[in-house]
Amino acid sequence: MEDRIIEFVRGLRSAGVRVSLAESMDAMKAVTILGVTEKALFQESLRATLIKDSSDFALFDELFPLFFGSGGPPLQSALEDLSSEEQEMLRAALEAMSGRLQRLLDWLTSGDGPTAEELEALAKRAGANWANDPGEARWISRRMLRQMGYQHLEEQISTLVQELQEMGMSQEAIELLMGVVKTNRDALAEQVAQKVGLQIAQERNERARDLFGPDLIHKPFQSLSESEADILRKEVQRLVAQLRSRAALRRKKGKNGKFDPKGTIRANQRYGGVPFDIKYKKRKLKPDLVLVCDVSTSMRPVAEFMLRLVYELQDQVAKARSFAFNSDMKEISVTLAGKRAGDAVAEILYNIPPGYYATDFGHSLETFFKKWPDSLNSRTTVVILGDGRNNFNSPRVDLIKLLKRRTRRFIWLNPENKRQWGTGDSDMIDYAPICDEVYQVRNLAQLSAAVDKILSPY
Amino acid sequence: MFRDIEEVGTGLGRENYIASKEISTVVYLAQSLSKPVLTEGPAGVGKTELAKAWAGALGWPLVRLQCYEGLDESKSLYEWEYAKQMLYTQLLRDTLQDVLGEAKSLTEAAERLSMEEDVFFSEKFLLPRPLLLALTSKEPVVLLIDEIDRADVEFEAFLLEVLSDFQVSIPEIGTISAIHQPMVLLTSNNTRELSEALKRRCLYIFIDYPTLQAELTIVKLKVPELSPELARQAVEVVQQLRHMDLRKVPSISETLDWARALVTLNAKAIDEETMRNTLTVLLKYEADVQRARRLLGNGGRRQMRGGKLGR
Repeated sequence: MEDRIIEFVRGLRSAGVRVSLAESMDAMKAVTILGVTEKALFQESLRATLIKDSSDFALFDELFPLFFGSGGPPLQSALEDLSSEEQEMLRAALEAMSGRLQRLLDWLTSGDGPTAEELEALAKRAGANWANDPGEARWISRRMLRQMGYQHLEEQISTLVQELQEMGMSQEAIELLMGVVKTNRDALAEQVAQKVGLQIAQERNERARDLFGPDLIHKPFQSLSESEADILRKEVQRLVAQLRSRAALRRKKGKNGKFDPKGTIRANQRYGGVPFDIKYKKRKLKPDLVLVCDVSTSMRPVAEFMLRLVYELQDQVAKARSFAFNSDMKEISVTLAGKRAGDAVAEILYNIPPGYYATDFGHSLETFFKKWPDSLNSRTTVVILGDGRNNFNSPRVDLIKLLKRRTRRFIWLNPENKRQWGTGDSDMIDYAPICDEVYQVRNLAQLSAAVDKILSPY
Repeated sequence: MFRDIEEVGTGLGRENYIASKEISTVVYLAQSLSKPVLTEGPAGVGKTELAKAWAGALGWPLVRLQCYEGLDESKSLYEWEYAKQMLYTQLLRDTLQDVLGEAKSLTEAAERLSMEEDVFFSEKFLLPRPLLLALTSKEPVVLLIDEIDRADVEFEAFLLEVLSDFQVSIPEIGTISAIHQPMVLLTSNNTRELSEALKRRCLYIFIDYPTLQAELTIVKLKVPELSPELARQAVEVVQQLRHMDLRKVPSISETLDWARALVTLNAKAIDEETMRNTLTVLLKYEADVQRARRLLGNGGRRQMRGGKLGR
């Protein structure tokens, strides 16, 4: 049983669940306490110790029956209910059939299904060890059943019935036999399906992981495939944890607060009350953010990851309002009511239709000043995420200057290299001198470095 | 202590907490493995209530630590009462004179003083906060660390020592280990990802909104005055509301509030009038109330027969 649990843990890991050694040891202990006799209890003890994230429950529920299932319902034997004479007739009738179908019908009537080795060989021939994900299981088990002769089973059964009738078996016995054969047929199909599922999950354990987040964060957003983006979305979590502890450390070390008499006396007790170690009250150094994102098709992936990062870091920001523009400005402030930040961001972006060649930053800025002038004050940090490409519309440098005057800090994040500024319809060369800071954000690594800068005090 | 899983279920049941099989299994495991339990789930499904019922079932006191942003160890673990320490030093000055007076040399005086050092650095000056209280309590306790996701990440890291070894280090005194190992329950509303290290040390359980039948049992248990027919209708409406796309869906506690409101208003049936008057008990945003009224239509009755509502 222990080996099986270890295999199961490996199965979970290769499916992308993080299970530590300590956790698998807990699982072992839990199983020793609750035992394995009651399946529901066993399942619950593994789940409580191994799975620490509600989004992984589905994976657990999918893998558990594969590793700890009974291998499908058992087959029944029809022979016991038949007289020896009738058994003889059945054997004779089966012998008249071709090899493959004879074997299949033999399994179905006698109740002795294929052995584990036979099943494995069949699964291998159906290509189970080339399959990549459990989704292919159904297709492979169908292939396996076809190889076993399920396709022609119906006709073969009726031939068998006919033959038995000719041999003079009673109608009653035939009906009984057919009933068993039909239950066994479904049971065997179920056995095969479970076998294939398990085989695929185990195969996956042996294979090396292909791509990891840490390499991907240096890949430009533009060339990410959808599956790579998915891996990166998970990687955001880890980056966020890093950024958060950096920000927290910085705040702790920033000694520019007010003198803290209570803390100082407390800290200097060990020096007999002589104040060697002066303590300061922490000043709130969390920025007040206004995010303005370009959500045109080319900028979408960058905008998504930017929003994800910022809203996952909600607790490091005093306030965050976000706006999206394409042809016009919209407020998209993420409401997190009970949702995870990532989900909320995905939902919002889904609701904004992408546009082509419609970007009008100047006009968007005008709308911004008309509708939401209240979002800017002397404490806000404004971050514009955009490529500065305006489709030759008016750049409205005057409005950018006004924006800069009204805010504490003005940062521009641009995925383009400096060399590309000013080429074609890019107005970046006009905007850049007005900004306090400009960063290039071509990939997730650069983006997280930029977010770190945004969170650090100016 | 519970002897088996059934006892957990009945024990919690005595405290008016309907525990699913999963919950009682995890509670039992937590006790036998002496591990903290981390519960996650939407607000108002009875995570905090579980801790109270757990403490009640065991007959142990409950120590509660409510987390919030900026919570640090001086508010959660202990505070050093420097004023009291100062005062003692001042008052003991004369006595000190007696002790040290006979000393012939400085070395001897220092030696004598060092023998009395414990007077100045002892647990007398330690003001225990919930965590220390739970560890040093003479009788075993249930420790509830509520809404851990609201606390800062640093606090989470600080908790690791407490949760895995049930001990804390206090610079002035040393390491204090728990006399009795407390049962620890952490709750989280899932507003941010907790650290891997913390999750690794805990057993995990996700408590979701209950099924219709389970919620009905809860309502019958907590608000027995409500007629069974009305209770069923009320729970059906609540379950429908949870399927709608609302800003904040009603929780179990709100269902109970509503049930109590229905009793107080002496409602005979859930008709349009009752709905109009009481919907605000369930829904806390005006936009939600409007939306629910529109979707539930005729007091919720017509749709109830029609079956499920779309999102």
